[in-house]
Amino acid sequence: MSDDVLLEVKDVHKEFPTHGREVVRAVDGVSLQVHKGETLGLVGETGCGKSSLARCMAHLYDVTSGSVWFEDAEISKLSRRAMRPVRRDIQVIFQDPYGSLNPRRRVGSIIGDPFAIHNIASGGERKKKVQELMELVGLNPEHYNRFPADFSGGQRQRIGVARALALRPKLVICDEPVSALDVSIQAQIINLLSDLQQEFDLTYVFISHDLSVVQHVSDRIAVMYLGKIVELAPTSELFGQTRHPYTRALLSALPVADPDTADSREQIILGGDMPSATNPPKGCRFHTRCPKARADCTAGEPPLIAVLDDTAEHQTACIHPLTVGEDLSTAVPDLKAS
Amino acid sequence: MTLLEVRDLRVSFDTPDGIVRAVRGLSFDVEAGQTLAVVGESGSGKSVSTQTITGLTRGATVSGTAYFDGTDLITADEATLRRLRGAKIGMIFQDPLSSLHPHYRIGWQIVEMIRAHDRVISKQAARKRAADLLSLVGIPRAAERIDDYPHQFSGGMRQRVMIAMAMALDPALLIADEPTTALDVTVQAQVLNVMRRLQEQFGTAIILITHDLGVVAEMADEVVVMYAGAVMERAPRRDIFYRNHHPYTQGLLASLPARSGDRLTPIAGSPPSLISLPKGCPFATRCPHVFDKCAETPPLTDVARDPRHQSACWLPHENSEAVAS
Repeated sequence: MSDDVLLEVKDVHKEFPTHGREVVRAVDGVSLQVHKGETLGLVGETGCGKSSLARCMAHLYDVTSGSVWFEDAEISKLSRRAMRPVRRDIQVIFQDPYGSLNPRRRVGSIIGDPFAIHNIASGGERKKKVQELMELVGLNPEHYNRFPADFSGGQRQRIGVARALALRPKLVICDEPVSALDVSIQAQIINLLSDLQQEFDLTYVFISHDLSVVQHVSDRIAVMYLGKIVELAPTSELFGQTRHPYTRALLSALPVADPDTADSREQIILGGDMPSATNPPKGCRFHTRCPKARADCTAGEPPLIAVLDDTAEHQTACIHPLTVGEDLSTAVPDLKAS
Repeated sequence: MTLLEVRDLRVSFDTPDGIVRAVRGLSFDVEAGQTLAVVGESGSGKSVSTQTITGLTRGATVSGTAYFDGTDLITADEATLRRLRGAKIGMIFQDPLSSLHPHYRIGWQIVEMIRAHDRVISKQAARKRAADLLSLVGIPRAAERIDDYPHQFSGGMRQRVMIAMAMALDPALLIADEPTTALDVTVQAQVLNVMRRLQEQFGTAIILITHDLGVVAEMADEVVVMYAGAVMERAPRRDIFYRNHHPYTQGLLASLPARSGDRLTPIAGSPPSLISLPKGCPFATRCPHVFDKCAETPPLTDVARDPRHQSACWLPHENSEAVAS
């Protein structure tokens, strides 16, 4: 692993059993590197596998096949006990600031949990550390003895952030951390996360269904569809030189808070719903909904590679990638073999 | 033509913690065939106000008037409201799964709804109408899928079923309360598209309740911005985005990631408790422009002498450019 890679995912598959004989292939062959100090955005719609992938990264899930490497060590096969020291370095912030905090425990003891689990500080020293953390994330340290119910949604997410940062992790996986919050509060938390990243040299994997949030926070973005990465690029390239038709459709569907843009742009409205992950379409998984699908799209799964004149930084899994300025809103699929 | 005229609506709930003043003097008009967006964050009173108008807030203390087609919905009896709901006023909510009965087939639920209001229509005719409605909202193979159960439909398709039900009796007004909040963006785009198309076709007026300013920019004709149970600003769509006056409207827009540079500019603090609201302007505690006058509640007054654009703020109203972001 090269020096600037903190975490690497190699051909990870994650399957879940269903009631029948089939399996849900939530993550279906993903390879990816997370660089030190960067924020890698992971976007996609419900069921695309972004959260499952993130949980595999933190080894909250066992991978079905493939491997996850953190700082030159394979962590995906570690036992719970062996994983424990690595847990200090990889922390997760969850979406739901209501569901992820035990309502019957005081905030001070919730934030102090990581210290207790790892036997780090105790008594007055632990309290001091917890209060420092509370201050760091913008909570009043005097509220140490309050319960989660006494805090608003935004403050609860600050509690989640404080708990995640307690042990000074290297990698923080943020799973929809602001999705449950109102916009004015959402902006507070995003700013907090970026301040903390600078202060502690953190690396983030930032998962969200909200492209405008991901665009704002990420250095690079991976777009997922049905268990696979369809496009991976530096943020400005993903938005400026979109190659994959699904990425373009996703960008185009995002409502923009600007009436002039909203009135003038041509929206791409995708037909149908995302197919089932138990039985994904053959060939390119997006071909059933792709406005420019062709007969050869059904042949084999397109590899995630640099296309057209892109550098190796920008990878796309599409055999008919978009050129800059190409109009997708008028494209018509043609799946008949010529 | 004004279809719905709401004046000085006040709604409060008596709770063990005290009286929650959820809506405090709300007035607005909905014009026939137009979309009025009501935007605000959690607890702003945007949902409670329309639920009250349609008689869905039992146990609340309500005052004010809401005239719809000559009837005051606030004082109307339950039978009148029941006749209007569905037939004249269609409603869709955020979560389509909890609005559909899981035990009954989709088609049956639509047929029931049609027959509840139209006593003479035959079962066959109602069923035919249900199938037509499903294809109208873009359900593929509607004639076959009419006998599916709700769990066999995806979230986006369920929301379309809700729209089909809401539109079944060609209502004059559709109240859509966060209709796309639970949906993915590509599905949201489909559903909003269906709503726009139906409005064009049938001239339905829409009250669209949302927290998403992007959806407002895409859909609204007029916009009402609510905060802590009161209107902060009301204006035609473009004025809200380009010539806004109220610091809360400006704060909301500035919080959006897409409109900021390197660092976001959130609104400081959090909304006040609706049980113990501070005196004066409810936004004063978070407002960057607060001054001594704000201890008094500012009335909604015209901005730049335009009666269609009003703001409840003491900052000068003559030249909105002076304070606009």
